[in-house]
Amino acid sequence: MKIDPKTFIHDYQLNICIQCGTCTGGCPVKFRSPLNMRRLVRETHLTDNFSSISKRAELWACTTCSTCSLRCPSGVKNVELIMGIRNFLANKGEVPSTIRDALENTLLQGNPWGRFRDRRADWAQDLGVKIFGEETSETLFYVGCAPSYDPRVQSVSTSLVRIFQKAGVDFAILGKKESCCGNEIRRMGEQALFKKLAKDNTALFKKLGVKRIITISPHCYNAFKNEYPDLNIPVQHYTQVLVDLIEAGKLHLSKELGISVTYHDPCFLGKQNKVFDEPRKILNSIPGCDFIEMERSRERSLCCEGGGGRMWAEGGTEGKRNGEIRIREAVALAAKTLATACPFCLLTFEDSVKTSGLAEQIVVKDIAELVMEALEVQ
Amino acid sequence: MNIAVCVKRIPKTAEADIFIEKDGKDIKKDNLVFALNDWDGYAVREAVLLKEKYEGEVIVLTIGPEESKEVLTRCLAMGADRAVRIEAPSSSDGHLIAKILAQATKGQSFDLILTGVQAEDDGWGQVGVALAQLLGLPHASIVTHIEVENGKAKVRRELEGGIEELLEVKLPAVLTIQTGINEPKYVSLSAILDAEDKETKEVGLEEIGFTSKAPLDATIDQVSFPPTGKMAEILKGTPEEVVGQLTEIIKKKKG
Amino acid sequence: MLEIFVLVEHRQGQIRDLTYEMLGLGEKLANQQGTSFAAILLGHDVKSFAEDLATRAPKVLVVEDENLKNFNSILYQQTLSSLISKYQPCLLLMGHSALGMDLAPSLSVEMEFPLATDCIGLSFEGARLKATRSIYGGKVNASVSLRESKGYIATIRPGVFSPKMVGEKKGGIVMESSPLQGMVDVKKFIEYIEAPITGEDITQAEILISVGQGIGGPEHIPLFEELAKNLGGTISCSRPVVDRNWLPKERQVGISGKTVKPKVYLAIGISGAFQHVTAMQGSDTIIAINKDPRAPIFGVAHYGIVDDFQNVIPVLKEKTKSWK
Repeated sequence: MKIDPKTFIHDYQLNICIQCGTCTGGCPVKFRSPLNMRRLVRETHLTDNFSSISKRAELWACTTCSTCSLRCPSGVKNVELIMGIRNFLANKGEVPSTIRDALENTLLQGNPWGRFRDRRADWAQDLGVKIFGEETSETLFYVGCAPSYDPRVQSVSTSLVRIFQKAGVDFAILGKKESCCGNEIRRMGEQALFKKLAKDNTALFKKLGVKRIITISPHCYNAFKNEYPDLNIPVQHYTQVLVDLIEAGKLHLSKELGISVTYHDPCFLGKQNKVFDEPRKILNSIPGCDFIEMERSRERSLCCEGGGGRMWAEGGTEGKRNGEIRIREAVALAAKTLATACPFCLLTFEDSVKTSGLAEQIVVKDIAELVMEALEVQ
Repeated sequence: MNIAVCVKRIPKTAEADIFIEKDGKDIKKDNLVFALNDWDGYAVREAVLLKEKYEGEVIVLTIGPEESKEVLTRCLAMGADRAVRIEAPSSSDGHLIAKILAQATKGQSFDLILTGVQAEDDGWGQVGVALAQLLGLPHASIVTHIEVENGKAKVRRELEGGIEELLEVKLPAVLTIQTGINEPKYVSLSAILDAEDKETKEVGLEEIGFTSKAPLDATIDQVSFPPTGKMAEILKGTPEEVVGQLTEIIKKKKG
Repeated sequence: MLEIFVLVEHRQGQIRDLTYEMLGLGEKLANQQGTSFAAILLGHDVKSFAEDLATRAPKVLVVEDENLKNFNSILYQQTLSSLISKYQPCLLLMGHSALGMDLAPSLSVEMEFPLATDCIGLSFEGARLKATRSIYGGKVNASVSLRESKGYIATIRPGVFSPKMVGEKKGGIVMESSPLQGMVDVKKFIEYIEAPITGEDITQAEILISVGQGIGGPEHIPLFEELAKNLGGTISCSRPVVDRNWLPKERQVGISGKTVKPKVYLAIGISGAFQHVTAMQGSDTIIAINKDPRAPIFGVAHYGIVDDFQNVIPVLKEKTKSWK
């Protein structure tokens, strides 16, 4: 598949850009990299020498949080442009070595870390979870790569399993047959691999008779909901499921946690998919959970920099990470817990807590973990 | 400059759970994923770089069953021009492999034949150099740099202790390629899908005139798990506790 | 009686340690077979080597030729095939090294001797050679039978067999005439290339912070540099890190890199392939940090931490800030 950068103007509507700079103004990495979205749109529109633009390291700094596209008054598809350029580079084989590894690993092992495919469901071994193939269900609990393999995020997966079991939700996981959803793969520029994953996953879900999908990661949620062309199966982020369960009286959050919590809206859940209220409803249902809103919340949430393949990209940015800024904002609110609902946010914040030396003052938790704590009988 | 590259499809075992087959002669492979041998990937990339510099054609060869075709497709996507699969069961007898490859390449006008230094799976590190002997060609193994001029290749070989040696080898020659000789490129799925349309020639042993029925030099009697030695004392606890123990150890040991 | 030959490895005026390990193995096998072993020394001006070797082997066969000054597989092969034809040894041992890997396969084809490479065990069953090899990246060992033959060649993994110590009796030195007729022009040695050390010399460091592919990417290197600064140590690495250009070659610990013996060796995200382990197992204290509890590095480390380095190193860095 050859990519012609000339079609970018039409595909991403570069010619309707009014150069207002709103995109650059809202960009979360504008202070951390030379990436200047307004200029990039203009230059790509007018250039005779696209390949010199495509060589810029800062193209890999974009987190695809989509603040720019969502705020653009004209409707320029900035993030799609970034992905288009990355696709051009991926097809030429010119991607940073760590991105290369992530993409090759996904083709080979079904996850960007290259962890062994057969170990994907090891985390669930002793939890009594139904696995498609051995048993069946109408509800697929799609775990995702980080929640399957990363020890920190596995605790979210485990919590959700226990919560669902307690609430009597009938569900099954794919086990070893689960593969990456491809959301980040597409954002790293590998459109063809994304299409293959979408096709294979869709076929698998349909063959198994899946009627509903629950995801842990907002990134998987986004891919299934917005980017899988032929899926046609309702998808829910787990926060939406938990709200339903709480409202239906199926989850009795009884334990007083006695904590002050603030919440970070993940980009792929909040601003991109407008799931703002559910996480807040859950936090407000937890007894002894004093919820404080952050200044930059909902649409204005500051991207943690974990998206858009940034989990695997090297460099391209400098200075203080957004994760650290976010931790400091939370500490300034006197919150003792920073809650979020995304594996990447969780991991970047865990790093930032350590690098900022604020581990004594704040902990990072996924909402699922807090719900699990509130469920536990004393 | 016409270059042949001999490649192998291997199972990836680094992170895998390993089980031994019932007959005890190999590991179970049905739970493993397969890929192009790492060293061979560098060799193919090097051949393509040489082709870009000196023009010519890159032909990749592999010996193996139907499934080995996937590594040839990958090589074509990397820029090889033609691919040949020699239908034969996989064998861990390096001498036999070298004899088949010699039969398949002899009489053709290759300036260079490249192989990886060794295979990730059984690691004999034997085929390239044995092939050179069978073809009556000079060779250099563990090559980390190649420059071609006036019918000769100036090559660097990796020795022990961070030292290299510079050699001059007259072409045609066989070189076995070490990892790190070049920067691998990402091979996109769309390049692989495009390459699937390119032709892979499939030949049997009789077709290439290989008739030897000589006994194998080496046969595996059995495989077994290596004895586990003394294991490290594992420091346990929260990261803070672990680091506490760790700093004590470092303090004490660094003197 | 058919002897066992051990090909002496030397380079730039030094006998390589692997030679002594092969002599140790050669003696063991010779005893087992009721035969003798001999060191085969090819080179130029190697008299002092012959004297040294005679203290460890009952016989040293020497071929002196100025064309053998530096290793050239073609000249070595010509010399060895003539010696083999003359003495008919039952086994020729070589290192599984840059030398042996360049020579053994072609010599094996020429002599029609079956070859076992990278052996970690060797024994005779009757007159038939059996080898143990470590395969699939060290996950399993394979017992290999070689076909019946009057002679065998085996290349030996470095660092596996105990070296032959200096004995009481001194062996004989036999000078053999060189079969070579000058140089060959199809393969010529030009020179050794040793990359100059531009940073710190890792072989001199007392504390090494050594990183592997498991650190994920070069963006983490500054973190380890800071830690190294706190500890008064130096950064080193394993091969994949060099192959990926995350660190320069001079930082590589391994057979093809540097051999190190620091007081403290902190291995982070290094799985522990033998090429790496061989070159660092002499360190006084080895501490390994790795996510995978089954990583072979824990078999050589004294202390281990099974965790993501990102959970440990930043904390360690903070805690050691005051050490500077």
